[in-house]
Amino acid sequence: MTFTSRAESEPTPIQALVRVLGDARDVGRLGLRTLHYLMRGKREKGAIAAQMLAVGNRSLFFMCVTMGFIGAIIAYQSGLQARKLVPDFSMIGATFLKLLVRDLAVSVGALPLATRVGAGIAAELGSMVVTDQVDAMRMSAADPVDYLVVPRFVACLIMGPALLAIGGLVAFGSGTLVANLAFDVSPHTFTNLTFVHLGDLALAALKAVTYGAAIALVSAQRGLATFGGSEGVGWATTEAVVGSCFAIIVLNLILSVIGFFLFPA
Amino acid sequence: MSGFVLALPARIGAVLIAIAEQVGGVSLLTGRIVARLRPRLLDRDELFRNLYRMGVRSVPIVSATAAFTGGIMVIQAAPFVDQFQAKAFVGWAATFTTFRELGPLLIGLIFNGRVGANNTAELATMTVTSQVDALRALAIDPIGYLVVPRVIAMVITMLSLCVIGNTIALGGAILTADVLLDVSPRLFWDSAAERLDTWDFGVGIVKSGLFGLIIALSSCHYGLATKGGAPGVGRAVNASVVGSAAGIFIADYFSTFLLG
Repeated sequence: MTFTSRAESEPTPIQALVRVLGDARDVGRLGLRTLHYLMRGKREKGAIAAQMLAVGNRSLFFMCVTMGFIGAIIAYQSGLQARKLVPDFSMIGATFLKLLVRDLAVSVGALPLATRVGAGIAAELGSMVVTDQVDAMRMSAADPVDYLVVPRFVACLIMGPALLAIGGLVAFGSGTLVANLAFDVSPHTFTNLTFVHLGDLALAALKAVTYGAAIALVSAQRGLATFGGSEGVGWATTEAVVGSCFAIIVLNLILSVIGFFLFPA
Repeated sequence: MSGFVLALPARIGAVLIAIAEQVGGVSLLTGRIVARLRPRLLDRDELFRNLYRMGVRSVPIVSATAAFTGGIMVIQAAPFVDQFQAKAFVGWAATFTTFRELGPLLIGLIFNGRVGANNTAELATMTVTSQVDALRALAIDPIGYLVVPRVIAMVITMLSLCVIGNTIALGGAILTADVLLDVSPRLFWDSAAERLDTWDFGVGIVKSGLFGLIIALSSCHYGLATKGGAPGVGRAVNASVVGSAAGIFIADYFSTFLLG
């Protein structure tokens, strides 16, 4: 079983930190090259649309299911929490919507999105690398970043926020249902937008776009850095999912701190 | 015309049949594992190797995730603190949500990506290179030798990672509350200690064990059911990660209701 050799090489904490920073640098470089080709690269007709179909439409069912459950969970937990603090549930909808819009719909929803889309991108690019298709492109003077990464990047940038927005609506629907069934809060009372401000929406949109870009770039970088045959594709997929999820959590903290100062409640 | 009318039901049916197929496969695997759950049959070396590989090696990423989660939960509570002048509630609000819900969920998703995907890739590679058949030819039961230690290791690992993660998330939350919201660690701690039950912590632990079981069963099932040579490995990993993530969210929902 030679498979595990890569997992069992033991890095010291400093080596691990250096590796994380190196990965971040590589992702940043890939991002710059992607932006460069986005501005002046050649555009293959239909490539972006094909990627939007793969990233967006094919993930819609999965996102709706997970976001439906997420909304129900958040509503139930906030109900439990509210029951301990205040006797009535009149404000549960307002706080639920505030939390959902400002952070949870986008940030929690981005994790299943990263799992689904990131794994797909890394597996696809990784298979192309280990079967030498990417080298063949370079031989034909076609830059893989231009042909492979740019369409996926654009697709994630557009479809990521769209999926998260649809997911947020589904989460709101299931949250309303649970609040009605479990705590007897009427949908009318639950739909309370008093706490939701324009700044919350702006913050959510900023987060959604950033996460979309991060998922595409981290997964593409991992996919293009694949080596070692079909096992390597498995590794690249693993690292893409973990890397994108971790990037989302770190970006969430950074953007939340920025939002805390820019758009105070 | 009839093709057009039947296209949607046919696709829905295909999706449902595919889901039923996977759920059935996981159930069969569960039955086979339960039949082999006897201490005498357990391969201890394999168990400890997996515990180290899956558990010890996941501590850094889980710690980092947990620290950020704690911080994020405090920032999310901030608008309400300003609005209701409720500094005394920050500690409780942040720890309640982190312990019960977000801690296990985020750690589960990261664990799914790191360990679950890895496990599927490993088993799938062994399957497509006929190493699993070779084990059978040597009269070694692949489920007992490969799967049972992994399942046990993943459940134990998730339980312990959740305890470690919750502790670190608490640290991250206290730090963020002190720096950003000017809530002193003392106030934070008192607020959490006064209103949290042991059960709030317990719910999270039970959930994370459940997530560990789901990730283990689904990643082993997809790994052993791999078909189609080397490209099949990539597909199996992809399907396993997505399947476990869906399983985690569904299990989270039901356990939230059942554990109250």
